[in-house]
Amino acid sequence: MLLTINNFRKAYNDTPVLTIPLLTLEPGTHWFRGINGSGKSTLMRTVAGMLPFEGEIWLNNQYEINRQPVPYRMRVNYAEAEPLYPDFLSARDIIQFVGKAKQSQPQQITNLTQLFGVDQYWKQPTGTYSSGMLKKVALLMAFLGQPDLILLDEPLTTIDDRATQILFTLIKEHQAKGVSFGLASHQDVGLTELTIDRVFLVENGEIK
Amino acid sequence: MKLLLRTLVQPYYARNAGFLGVIVYLTFGFMRPSDHHALIAAIMGSPFLLALTAGLWAIYTLRATIFVRQLLNEPPQRFLLTARLLPRPLRWGGWLLVATMLLIPVEAYAGWMVQRGIFHQTWIANGLVISIVLGLIAASAGAIDHRIRHPYPAQTIRLPRPNWTIPYPLFYPGFLLRHRPVAFLLTKAVSLGLLIGVCRLYPTDDYDQRLLLIGLMMSIIAYSPICRTFFEFETTWLRLLPNLPFSRFHRLTRYALTYALLWLPELPVLLQNKPQTVSAGYMALLWLTGWGWLLLFHARSYRPDWNPDRWQQQLLFGFLASLVLIMFGFPVWGWLLLGGLGTGWLWFRNSPSPYHS
Repeated sequence: MLLTINNFRKAYNDTPVLTIPLLTLEPGTHWFRGINGSGKSTLMRTVAGMLPFEGEIWLNNQYEINRQPVPYRMRVNYAEAEPLYPDFLSARDIIQFVGKAKQSQPQQITNLTQLFGVDQYWKQPTGTYSSGMLKKVALLMAFLGQPDLILLDEPLTTIDDRATQILFTLIKEHQAKGVSFGLASHQDVGLTELTIDRVFLVENGEIK
Repeated sequence: MKLLLRTLVQPYYARNAGFLGVIVYLTFGFMRPSDHHALIAAIMGSPFLLALTAGLWAIYTLRATIFVRQLLNEPPQRFLLTARLLPRPLRWGGWLLVATMLLIPVEAYAGWMVQRGIFHQTWIANGLVISIVLGLIAASAGAIDHRIRHPYPAQTIRLPRPNWTIPYPLFYPGFLLRHRPVAFLLTKAVSLGLLIGVCRLYPTDDYDQRLLLIGLMMSIIAYSPICRTFFEFETTWLRLLPNLPFSRFHRLTRYALTYALLWLPELPVLLQNKPQTVSAGYMALLWLTGWGWLLLFHARSYRPDWNPDRWQQQLLFGFLASLVLIMFGFPVWGWLLLGGLGTGWLWFRNSPSPYHS
């Protein structure tokens, strides 16, 4: 089992926003769809280890998010829907920092930055980037290291067609290597060329 | 109007409670009302002292106004930039209210001065004090309106960018220097000024080391907005941090390094100004204690259910309690031990990660 979410409850100011009694995900690519505000990003960010919650989240039946926080986070990567970085830092500063944390090889960073074309501007401060340029930085960082699960929150927003094609190619390459994906999108990912194994509807604080 | 008070004024007082607490303690802790009456009488009778007072008020106004201008560029408050669309009188009414509320400490002391001025019949000085305060309010409101009309400045303070990759311990100092330069430098000035002042109280006589500890406590309380902004910096601009596979110990060492960098200028100042009867080793211990307590403040904020306002109150009450302990002779190594153990306990007591309840 890739991911097991057990007795999960996420609340903001005591108001529950997402409740999952039990959810198990086999290895593969999973699309979480739902309207704005349905809780997709909350789910993604919680599984990525970024938000407090009640319950348990297991990866590969081996790493629990609270009990083995370091190996869990080494294997679960995440790209935000609307990334935001300190405007005086360059993409290189941030990518090198994240790459080191995720134990990424320098060659992997070089390949990914070249693939997305980020190497063209990565020495400039991020305050000068467009939202699409920022998004490409976030997307490439989700592939750093040796993840088992990559979570992409609204991966298709703000990037151009070329970057979309590059992303699809990268996802397919990683799917072939056995990497699993969690995609949160209000857009119809099913209409793209990606292979989707399961589709979940996030609605009214539940996953169906 | 209520919205402006909640989004601009309330955060100012909440985030600067420590700084304001130190100012109030310095102003009223050491001086009795009769001392203030004498001081006010001197100010109202001397153009030089009045100008000096106006200068201090102007620095305070600058600090508060820059805080609000920076707040308006932060993502949560950016919606207020649409105030540009409001009619000018309504907009200015709002900014005048905000400025008036920001300058309450200045207005309160100025009011006391005017009241004493009526008693002493110093009518010209009274008129000047009222004009200065009104001028500062208008200048502050104008500066806020300027930010609304010129949002997203093309550049922050331009500092040379190194060719090498900036390491994590420099992220936050870099943010402070570029985005909070005035607040940071004023905090530094207050902290260093307090330490120098306390060191030089009795430079040659037999020195009561309790005074040094009180100075240290005031100095680190003045630092508390820097600790608070650190947490806010990471939750706003480095949201990816919790996803990174760092152990708790690893995270703590990174914060320790950052605080060591921020607190480093205090070390030579303490050693340079050490009273003759106090050893250099004691001054170094004092610096280490300050570093440990800054980490303790940070560790206290590093939790999922952190309430910044309650945290600030706890610091203030803690500060008052520490004064009592210091007066009873609690030694510096005890404070160092308390800071170190407290940091360790707070850091490791919960779950392995602060992001899980």
